[in-house]
Amino acid sequence: MSVEMIDGQPLVEMRSATKEYRGVPAIRNVDFRLAPGEVHALLGENGAGKSTLTKIMAGVTELTSGEMLLNGQSVSFSTPGEALENGIAMVFQETSLVPSMTVAQNLYLGEEKLFNRLRGIYIAAQQFMQSLNFDVDPWADVATLGAAKKQMVEIARAVRQQARVIIFDEPTATLTPEEKRHFFNLVKQLTRRGVAVIFISHALEEALAIADSISVLRDGELVATGPTGEFDRNSIVQAMVGRTLSEELYHSHGEDIVRRPGKKVLSVQNLSMSKVVKNNSFSVYNGQITGIFGLIGSGRTEAAKVISGVLKRDFFHGGEVRLNNKPVRYRTPRRAVKDGIVYVTEDRKIEGFFENMSIADNIHRAAQAANVSSSFFVSFSEVKEMAAEWSKKLNIKAINSNARVIELSGGNQQKVVIARALVQKPKIVIFDEPTRGVDVGAIAEIHQLINELADQGIAVVVISSYLPEIMNISDRILVSRAGRIVEEFSPEEATEERIMFAAVH
Amino acid sequence: MGNVFTRYIDRLRGSGDAAITLPPMDGALRPNNRIEEAELLVSTEAPDNLVLHDGKVLFSSDKSLRSLTADGQVEELDATDSTIEFLTSHPSGALAIGLGAGRIEIRGGPHDGKRLLALGQTPIVAPSAAVFVDSDTLLICLASRQHAMGEWKRDLMTFGATGSVMKIDLRTEEAICIAQNLAFPSGVALKPDGGILVSESWKHRVLSIAEDGKITPVLDELPGYPSRLVPGAGNDIWMCVFAPRTQLIEFVLRENEYRKRMVAEIDPEYWIAPSLHYPNSYLEPMQGGGLKQLGELKPWAPSRSIGLVVRLDGEGTPWESLHSRADGRRHGVTSCLPTDEGLVIASKGGDAIVRAIT
Repeated sequence: MSVEMIDGQPLVEMRSATKEYRGVPAIRNVDFRLAPGEVHALLGENGAGKSTLTKIMAGVTELTSGEMLLNGQSVSFSTPGEALENGIAMVFQETSLVPSMTVAQNLYLGEEKLFNRLRGIYIAAQQFMQSLNFDVDPWADVATLGAAKKQMVEIARAVRQQARVIIFDEPTATLTPEEKRHFFNLVKQLTRRGVAVIFISHALEEALAIADSISVLRDGELVATGPTGEFDRNSIVQAMVGRTLSEELYHSHGEDIVRRPGKKVLSVQNLSMSKVVKNNSFSVYNGQITGIFGLIGSGRTEAAKVISGVLKRDFFHGGEVRLNNKPVRYRTPRRAVKDGIVYVTEDRKIEGFFENMSIADNIHRAAQAANVSSSFFVSFSEVKEMAAEWSKKLNIKAINSNARVIELSGGNQQKVVIARALVQKPKIVIFDEPTRGVDVGAIAEIHQLINELADQGIAVVVISSYLPEIMNISDRILVSRAGRIVEEFSPEEATEERIMFAAVH
Repeated sequence: MGNVFTRYIDRLRGSGDAAITLPPMDGALRPNNRIEEAELLVSTEAPDNLVLHDGKVLFSSDKSLRSLTADGQVEELDATDSTIEFLTSHPSGALAIGLGAGRIEIRGGPHDGKRLLALGQTPIVAPSAAVFVDSDTLLICLASRQHAMGEWKRDLMTFGATGSVMKIDLRTEEAICIAQNLAFPSGVALKPDGGILVSESWKHRVLSIAEDGKITPVLDELPGYPSRLVPGAGNDIWMCVFAPRTQLIEFVLRENEYRKRMVAEIDPEYWIAPSLHYPNSYLEPMQGGGLKQLGELKPWAPSRSIGLVVRLDGEGTPWESLHSRADGRRHGVTSCLPTDEGLVIASKGGDAIVRAIT
């Protein structure tokens, strides 16, 4: 249902909005209207210009040409603070919290008085979080929170600032189904108060379920806009990518061919780490994609990090990880990489790449870490060749390989992270949420790549909390709950209900 | 010195050799109920050694040699003076019978009536499995030189590693030792390339012995104790796993004082050791016990018996398995026989012969 605008006047309007970076347009002549109390889904592939458009509204960057109107008045914000003063807040896809501060301190950041009564701040924070139905401890350091809880704090901060327009960039990517339901209720509460919400998501079903209007961007241009009722999944995908992807997207297996397992290459035996991973056991086989599904906090990521040397298992009775039947214990990821185990992180911005380095440097550093690089001294031609090779293989879209990774879209950033992993010539690749925050076009490409790795005989593990992904890419599906693998399904017998039941009961 | 220190640290930390961990039963070994749900052909006491001979399905039950007819009837063919430990057949009509009394008898075929009381200089203490290479040559697994087959638990609990694989020429009775100091070899099969596969139960692995005598493990770190190996369709091999490994048993195997007293003072039936059957007596260690605490099941008495048959491909990689789980009764599978109608399975611990669809 489309929301009627008061006196026909939108709350926010963009007219012929154009933004160029180094002469390359990120958005071109975009006309966009947002009504009060409206949920407006902004959809498009990575690099389509969604983030640029919203960043202009939120004062992160400014228009090159065109006009932005707020309540009919022409405005231009040069800082996010200025936008916030005018009632526009943005919850970023990548967290902008201060990790060394507590949740409550982050919520009240920038509002500190000369003398602060900490107890009062914590009580207020707790009451506020409870009013949003978010289960987050205000005393907890943000650094200790998982991705989902960080996202909740981000959302809470925006809501607390009483903005009239809140822009959510991929708000549900890290949330569990239960948390998503809370989030959608929260959005409804906000809209009842007259707050307009811009909702950027790659989960099209969510956009169709929650939004009043949908706008689709492609290559920086607005290609479709209208009430949600005028769209269905296929028409959105077609508008986003210029072709229908629904068939190929989650069926990269071809005709549901399930690969037979090769040799057991990795055996995790009674692995324990603190209270997060408890007596966890599973095997990984060559030439097969082992999918691990689990809700946030089920210990799947932590188990993967122990295997790849990022985290350490318990000092006493921590269990065993056996690689090709030999026990291994890595104290640093580098040692795991040398043995052929690479971990593609779920949190690419923090752990995945050096954001201010170029694509080429990022890939070459990874090669150096695995001693794949051919010479002791850095050969610039080798760096260039390596970057060209992987950019071509993974279809990384950038001006050139000297572009900084921070300038790339989420999907292309993820491809850089994957390139960094694959350049190390791994024998086991663990993908943790490989398509989180990635557009539909890039999802298909990443899935294709993962399938190709398995076809080459490499052991692949895909950790995902997105059921359609795990069900369609995996040759076997493991379900993690409360720190251990509790169930295994073959693709034929797996249903969303059965997997979810195993994950929560 | 360093070794002693390392061992002490490992023992303290529960790492290295002291890590009491088990390989998971997942992937191709993922538990199911296929043996439990399989069609019951006949209920009979402790069936074992299924073999196809002259178009008949033969099996043994303690000292009896029996046949199983197509309509599920059991016919008593012969009775021996001791337990039948293995049966193997050759298309020439020869049937080799390994007896617990320490001899091997050949019935039918070119060596009809031959009785072997030793294999060269090697006494026959625990004949566990055999296969005909040709009508004149027999490969025989001798599981132990110290303990008879009936004392297999004692062999495990005393770390027996005196098993061997012998090749005997039935014409000359000349015997060659192909492999020795094995930890309870209890299954043998021929590979299409002329090599031999042998299951080494106490080391939870399957070995490949090449024609030049080179021994390499092809399947290692099994979560149970493998026994008979039976050729299937194509290059496939069916492997019976007669009992599961558990952390409790691995723990007892590490605790020398406890283990020695248990072996010395307690009836083997009541040991904390693998078992072929679900407990029959309240005196036996409990299986499958657990306690739900704070919504979480904490198992404290793991199952010591299961039924498990695993299908291996030509490379020795498992790709299919049939189970009778901890709560089932068709445990202690020691023998199986692929037929056109399905896989016939002898559950020695469950006193049943069943047929599963594969």
